[in-house]
Amino acid sequence: MSDDGMLAEVDSLREHTIVTLNKLTKDIKRQHKIMERSDKRQQREYDELQKKLQEVEELGKEIAQTQREVVFTMGAIAESRSKETGNHVKRVAEYTYLFAKYYGLPEAECTLLKQASPMHDIGKVAIPDAVLNKPGRFDEAERKIMDTHAQLGYDMLQGSKRTLLKMAATVAYEHHEKWNGKGYPRQLKGEEIHIYGRITALADVFDALGSTRVYKPAWDDERIFKMFREERGEHFDPALIDIFFEHLDEFLAFRDTLKDVVS
Amino acid sequence: MENLTLDETKYTPLIELDAAKGVIALTGKSYPENTFEFYKPMMEWMAEYFRTVAKDVTVINLEIIYFNSSSSKLFFDFFDLLDEVKDDHKLDINWIYDEENENAEEAGEDFIEDFEDLPIKLIVKEE
Ligand SMILES: [Fe+2]
Ligand SMILES: [Fe+2]
Repeated sequence: MSDDGMLAEVDSLREHTIVTLNKLTKDIKRQHKIMERSDKRQQREYDELQKKLQEVEELGKEIAQTQREVVFTMGAIAESRSKETGNHVKRVAEYTYLFAKYYGLPEAECTLLKQASPMHDIGKVAIPDAVLNKPGRFDEAERKIMDTHAQLGYDMLQGSKRTLLKMAATVAYEHHEKWNGKGYPRQLKGEEIHIYGRITALADVFDALGSTRVYKPAWDDERIFKMFREERGEHFDPALIDIFFEHLDEFLAFRDTLKDVVS
Repeated sequence: MENLTLDETKYTPLIELDAAKGVIALTGKSYPENTFEFYKPMMEWMAEYFRTVAKDVTVINLEIIYFNSSSSKLFFDFFDLLDEVKDDHKLDINWIYDEENENAEEAGEDFIEDFEDLPIKLIVKEE
């Protein structure tokens, strides 16, 4: 190769190198810029995401709270139409939670049952006033009408897709069934009765017996306990009666904190 | 020359490259796993397009909502390519963003600053 040829090649190499180096310089500067901008952008996006997440969380909480309030209000309406008063619904809620917990249901399910069980008598909103508010005892025809409240409650709630309302539908439907098959409306027996129904039945009766009503004084504890022992495996699920006596102090503690104010 | 369309995915934008109409459009997010691999067909298509069949005016619509840092690097290459052909081809470049998307707006402003010879217009998207 001639010197000229070599020089030309070196020149071209130099030019090429300069171009490459310039590009490299540009790239490095650029890279720096890109990283800086990206960091800034990502930080802002992160902030935005966090904000939105928080909004969603708060919305979720609000929905859950609204649901609880609606359900509780429905329960209260039902109670106001039955002859029960005061904190009955709240106590039943707490008792059903305790039963569910010691029966071994998962925590989330226990909490749901606590919210659903106050609606057990929701069907009573559909019972005519003349029957519902009748002073004194019901005759047989009236008793039959009263008993439809279980089916009515179920009919009202069963259409819902919400877990909580579906559970409430079961509770309304089965809270007057008895372990021995002599309850209503379907005369279900033993474990045919859903655990939610069995639990609410016992919680409801326990509270009704221990409360003063217009038509009856409160039973004393010994009388209730005696009745529970007799009805173990008859009216009530034996496993639940056992749980009741085993954790009696906890049930009584709730009863004390949620006592009806005597006027 | 054939058109090239890549459908939008969770991490990549809709890419529409229309040689007959002279339109290059990117719409969506850009978080590809392998950015340069992903955009390679597009870059090759563009190089080929400007070398052969480019229209009198080529419209380039970029509507990128979110993008990662390697996409940002890719966009530099993208504008570099346009920068190289701008003297021989009339370009109509639109950086389109949503009014609420401050990041996209700022990114557009940055590109305008970086490529001052390119006719990049900021377009606020109508609701
Ligand atoms: Fe009832
Ligand atoms: Fe009740």
